[in-house]
Amino acid sequence: MQSFKSKGLIAFISALLCVSLAFVFMVNRASAHKVSHDAETLKAFNDAFMEQVILGDELFHGATMEGINMSNTGMACAMCHPFSSDVHPHEYPKFQEQMSEFATLRDMINWCIEKPNEGEIIDPDGEAMKALEAYIYWSNRGSVLDPGRH
Amino acid sequence: MTDNKHDRDQVVGNVDITRRTFLHKSLLTGGAVATGSAVGVFQTLSSMEIASAAMSEPFSFAWVSDTHLYPRELNQRFIDKTVRAFSEVQAMGDKFDFMVFGGDLAQLGHPVEIELGAELLQEVTIPKHFIPGEHDWYLDLGESWNKHFGETPWTFDHKGVRIIGVDSVGRAPDYWSARGMSNEERMAHMSGLDGSQAGPWSGLGSEQRQWLSSTLSDWPKDAPVIIFSHTPFYEYFPPWNFWIRDWREVQEILAPWQNVTNIHGHVHQPLYNEIGGMRSIGMLATSWPWPYAPEGVPELTRPMLRVDPGDHFDGVGWGNLAMNAEAHMEVEYMMWREQVFGVGRADSGTGDNVNQKLSPRISDRGWTGD
Repeated sequence: MQSFKSKGLIAFISALLCVSLAFVFMVNRASAHKVSHDAETLKAFNDAFMEQVILGDELFHGATMEGINMSNTGMACAMCHPFSSDVHPHEYPKFQEQMSEFATLRDMINWCIEKPNEGEIIDPDGEAMKALEAYIYWSNRGSVLDPGRH
Repeated sequence: MTDNKHDRDQVVGNVDITRRTFLHKSLLTGGAVATGSAVGVFQTLSSMEIASAAMSEPFSFAWVSDTHLYPRELNQRFIDKTVRAFSEVQAMGDKFDFMVFGGDLAQLGHPVEIELGAELLQEVTIPKHFIPGEHDWYLDLGESWNKHFGETPWTFDHKGVRIIGVDSVGRAPDYWSARGMSNEERMAHMSGLDGSQAGPWSGLGSEQRQWLSSTLSDWPKDAPVIIFSHTPFYEYFPPWNFWIRDWREVQEILAPWQNVTNIHGHVHQPLYNEIGGMRSIGMLATSWPWPYAPEGVPELTRPMLRVDPGDHFDGVGWGNLAMNAEAHMEVEYMMWREQVFGVGRADSGTGDNVNQKLSPRISDRGWTGD
């Protein structure tokens, strides 16, 4: 009897979870890939990306934003990497010699902030990091993907 | 002869001695040379010797440039490297007839930065000659620079060589007035190597070209000429003003002279190129090394080793130059590391960029002054 009641409770909770997940899933899916992408939609996507590229460009060239301090030397990323050259985002992740460990692009960005720039590392998932990443990838678009290369 | 050619793949493999550019054999044997610098003895690493026809009384001189000094309280490391370079030059002072400071003493052209540079320059007591860089100029359009270091261009004859210093930075087309930029905004746009607002600022301009032509008019065509400029006298990479925009007109002026050497800064890297009877030699910065241009380097250039960004003394230094009795120019990069040039693709400052494709930046293209 006891076992039957437990099984019923489990079945009820499972059904409830399924309904809840289906609801969440449907809500999240409601606006994606239901209709063909028109030019306006694609432009909106690109605008959202380029907004981050431009923010990242400015940060890369010495601008700052509230809550971060990427340099205490006057140096900006672009002073060693004009056009984001020699950043090689297409080669990450890789073993990073300076860190003596396997690293992502975000790891290396923070290394440069902390070491050459003597700044304070930024949240690896924060707004500034995502913008820097957007700018660096945009500047290097068309480069040959070659992860792990030194 | 190379006429402004670029070939990355050839450059990567081009580490052998070439017909016109080759390692100085006495240094290839591995001898250590005492520099008497503040940090003691270190090995000299490289030297190029450049052929020419005319004879000359030998002499040596030093080149220091691109110190990019900030105010003392903001950045001590650039001061440390500047002091090291000047101390090493002074310690070898008996060897040098003079020192040339090749521009970009300051980072943002502020009088405090220029005065700091002038103070540090007092360490060097041999005769000094100065040419400006764009970082020295565009806050006050050269007022502080000229006050401390005199006007450019200038010329003098030294032991059979006509020596010329030009201003390749201060004659930019006016990009600031129509946009209503403040002096600080003008300087800020100029100070970004990859910005788009300052445009093709590097050049001699018609008045200075006329001066150059006139200055050389009485000089024998086979006698050596050395021209110091901040930016190179050829088209290396215009988006970063690694050129002078009127290089074709300048080449036309210089073409009759058989032995012209252009020593330049700005690029923060070893470079070598030849056009006609002129060779251009790029010198190190003391502040930081720039990457090589995305399209590669002139084919006669031996690319430097890529450097360690964790060591701010790496990939920088100064220049020890000499005109020998055969009017051959010898250049020794006094880089503060054991190895200067890359010998393999993985170690080369340009050879490791084979998969890289770059785009000019975008955020400053629509600058409106807001």
